[in-house]
Amino acid sequence: MPDSTPQLKSDTLMKQMKLHLSTDASKELTKKIGLVYQINIAPKKLGFDEVIYVVDLKKGEVTKGPYEGGKPDATFAFKDDDFVKVATGKMNPQIAFMRGAMKIKGSLSAAQKFTPDIFPKPSKM
Amino acid sequence: MAMRDLVTGGAACAVPGSSSSSNPVAALASALIGSSSKTTQERLKELPTSIPTSSDRQYYPEAPTLPGSEFDQEHYLQPSAQGSDFLHGFRAADRGQFADVWDEIHHGQPPHLQGRASQSHLPKFEHAFHQVNSQLQPTLDGITPDDHKLSPRFFVKDLTWLSNHLFVVVPSFLSLGIEVHYESTNPSPSVTGPPQRVLSNFLHSFLDSSRGGIPFHPAPLPGLGLSEVDKQCIRDRTSIMARHMFADKSDEFTNAQVDALLCSLDIDNSVQAKGHIPGRFSELEDYWNESQGSRQAGHLPANGWVTEFDQHRAQQGDPELWALSFERQHGVNGWASEFEREQSQMAQLGQTRGANISDFAAMEQTRMLAHTLAQNNDPKFQNSKFLQFVSKMSRGELIIDDNQVKPSTSGDWAAEYQHEYNGGLSWADEFGHTKASANLALRWEFNHSLSHGPDRWVNEFSAEHKQPNLVEDQWVDEFSKLHIQDWADEFGHQVGEGAFGNESTDNWASAYDEYLNEQMATKQQSGGSRGVYVFSEMNPYVGHPNPLKEGQELFRKGLLSEAVLALEAEVIKNPDNAEGWRLLGIAHAENDDDQQAIASMMKAQEVDPTNLEVLLALGVSHTNELEQAAALKYLYSWLLHHPKYGTLAPRELSESLHYADVARLFDQAAQMSPEDADVHIVLGVLYNLSREYDKAISSFQTALKLRPNDYSLWNKLGATQANSIQSADAILAYQQALDLKPNYVRAWANMGISYANQGMYEESVRYYVRALAMNPKADNAWQYLRISLSCASRNDMFEACDSRNLDVLQKEFPL
Repeated sequence: MPDSTPQLKSDTLMKQMKLHLSTDASKELTKKIGLVYQINIAPKKLGFDEVIYVVDLKKGEVTKGPYEGGKPDATFAFKDDDFVKVATGKMNPQIAFMRGAMKIKGSLSAAQKFTPDIFPKPSKM
Repeated sequence: MAMRDLVTGGAACAVPGSSSSSNPVAALASALIGSSSKTTQERLKELPTSIPTSSDRQYYPEAPTLPGSEFDQEHYLQPSAQGSDFLHGFRAADRGQFADVWDEIHHGQPPHLQGRASQSHLPKFEHAFHQVNSQLQPTLDGITPDDHKLSPRFFVKDLTWLSNHLFVVVPSFLSLGIEVHYESTNPSPSVTGPPQRVLSNFLHSFLDSSRGGIPFHPAPLPGLGLSEVDKQCIRDRTSIMARHMFADKSDEFTNAQVDALLCSLDIDNSVQAKGHIPGRFSELEDYWNESQGSRQAGHLPANGWVTEFDQHRAQQGDPELWALSFERQHGVNGWASEFEREQSQMAQLGQTRGANISDFAAMEQTRMLAHTLAQNNDPKFQNSKFLQFVSKMSRGELIIDDNQVKPSTSGDWAAEYQHEYNGGLSWADEFGHTKASANLALRWEFNHSLSHGPDRWVNEFSAEHKQPNLVEDQWVDEFSKLHIQDWADEFGHQVGEGAFGNESTDNWASAYDEYLNEQMATKQQSGGSRGVYVFSEMNPYVGHPNPLKEGQELFRKGLLSEAVLALEAEVIKNPDNAEGWRLLGIAHAENDDDQQAIASMMKAQEVDPTNLEVLLALGVSHTNELEQAAALKYLYSWLLHHPKYGTLAPRELSESLHYADVARLFDQAAQMSPEDADVHIVLGVLYNLSREYDKAISSFQTALKLRPNDYSLWNKLGATQANSIQSADAILAYQQALDLKPNYVRAWANMGISYANQGMYEESVRYYVRALAMNPKADNAWQYLRISLSCASRNDMFEACDSRNLDVLQKEFPL
């Protein structure tokens, strides 16, 4: 089994993102944004038991664990549910930020480019 | 930064020494309207009796022999340059009036000599005044008595003003109708008055002592021979005035000051002293000052009135006579029309500024906020609802009341006030006049105030305006409840970091709009919490003889939304009908509404806990919602309750489910009977849970060989392919599903997703719109539609999308 016991909803989205970045459709994305985001996802409470993903829109890849190529352009902290809401367009990132559902570290102009359309939408069976 | 200051009423808005400055709105209000006492304060800061508290204070060399006698000389010094133009305007108004009467007092000239024709003193005063404060010139020019018509509205006001600032004169002639002040030049005073000059100066020194904040010391005075009525008037005026002047001091201090003064004048403060509630009075004062301030650039008709009034007073010496003579001069209806004109002006003022002080303060803040926001020239920001909201607030078109934003209804205090008093006109008979009601109201007020003293009027007026004070507090409360402050803090913080480019303001403005929308949306959906089925409000199938049959028929025809209604009617009628709930759940799932699907399936499971179809559907829906644990539980239950594979499942496993165990059990089941499509379907769902999409795809493909006409199976295959980003294949699978079931909303929406994930946004919009046309309640599709519109640079369609206007969207994006 490639993934051990699934725990986060975000894991599914990240997996899809990873696959998405391997397709031609994502080439435009990396060209357009060209930034590295680190996303810390907590199951219940911000800052606790965080699972860290790096969405590298320079190289076009998603990796688990903290960014190793220096400093990411922006780091976000979410709760699992809130990340799903943002990534699926249920919640606007700015609103998430205003509500404190999303914490931002790093460049705000980089954070501004973090929009729901960079993530592929999950399809439903 | 600035924004936050504006919203929270930061330090810049606070007035040192103003009352209740802990409340930012109140502080602002005081800054704007509480200037009256400051004016005198600055004007008289050179007083000997005051304690030097600042360096710019000047002193007059000669020591006064009697308290207040220094006022025999005119000395107006330049007020300190602090304060806004607005406040200067106030000073101008105040000074102009003050100076007018001051001239009369100190030159002892009878008003009928000084009246309209005699301008000799005014230019003189003006000259002196210009030297002091040339910036007040434009306002002062308005003082010349000639260019004023008597305006009844200011009549009442000036009674108040006079009574506050010139109580030396007013109490006497108001109460007794005597011409006390001018007795030295008037050969035949009708009543013997007290030595007014002494009294005047004495009272002025009392006024001045207050400025230094030191206690007023009683001074021996020559016998003044004040009548009881005089005394009462002085007492009343003093207590009112003291509360006004010492608004920033404690009540004890105020009372001590008043007592000291009254003691000197040999007036008993305890017996008949009328209590004036300070809050009421200051409110009235504030109001008048505010209304005066708003007319700062105008003609100051009040000054003209002062002169004119004095002129009439000197001639007639009786308030009623005065009124009659005015009528003779101007005609009975002159008043009425002029009053009405004034009132309509006032009404306009009232509408632009809002109904009352509290709104005014609130609006002043929002106006500043609006102004700041309006600096941003971005058209999108300019059109944002937030800015519109703020500017409406600032114009008084909206008020916040009871946590609800309401359009302002009545901004016209004058009309209200008039209306209120139109009822109580019985005095009219007394005087035998028959006049227009506006006229009556005014005259009633006038006579009333003359006979009972203006303080009565003050009470009445302030009673009327007590409410606004509450409203003001409410406003502040509500405003903070809205968390706008938090928002402003955060916004200010971000802006402070200077991290925003121009485009970002866009985002933030529209984000705020969305925030509002979202809040409204959550309100609407507040009933739809997880796992609770939400019934449609209007259901034509309620009362249908056999809604289940009807629902099944509609479902078979593919009319999903109709089927949902019929099936809802069925489960309302028979809440224990598992089949009704199950089919309802399936209809919702096919309609792309997983929340409702889960809710109905859970109801079905309650009634029939072992129904395999229900358990599978619950597993699928929870997988769609990315809820792995719940999905796993239902899929395991499926296995557990299956007549054939149930033996495979050890009972104890259901306590702590591990994906690996469950997957292993299903593998065994699939080996047991490879021809059972159901097992492959469940396996496919299970592999979706573990994101092993390739295995999932092959499971579904195996199942499809066994059941090629299962449209939902084609959709499952497509969705799995889409989630593993094989979008082109997915679209083929969806196409199969739609060939079998053209009204399959979920498949249409999934088509949209697949196109969007391939970057074909314009195409995706067409499919989303198609799905929504069949089920406008599919919230996910609306969200995805908006994203696709944005990516396709079709922002022009946002409005249609946000208002869920399908007609426009279908026309624009036909499939």
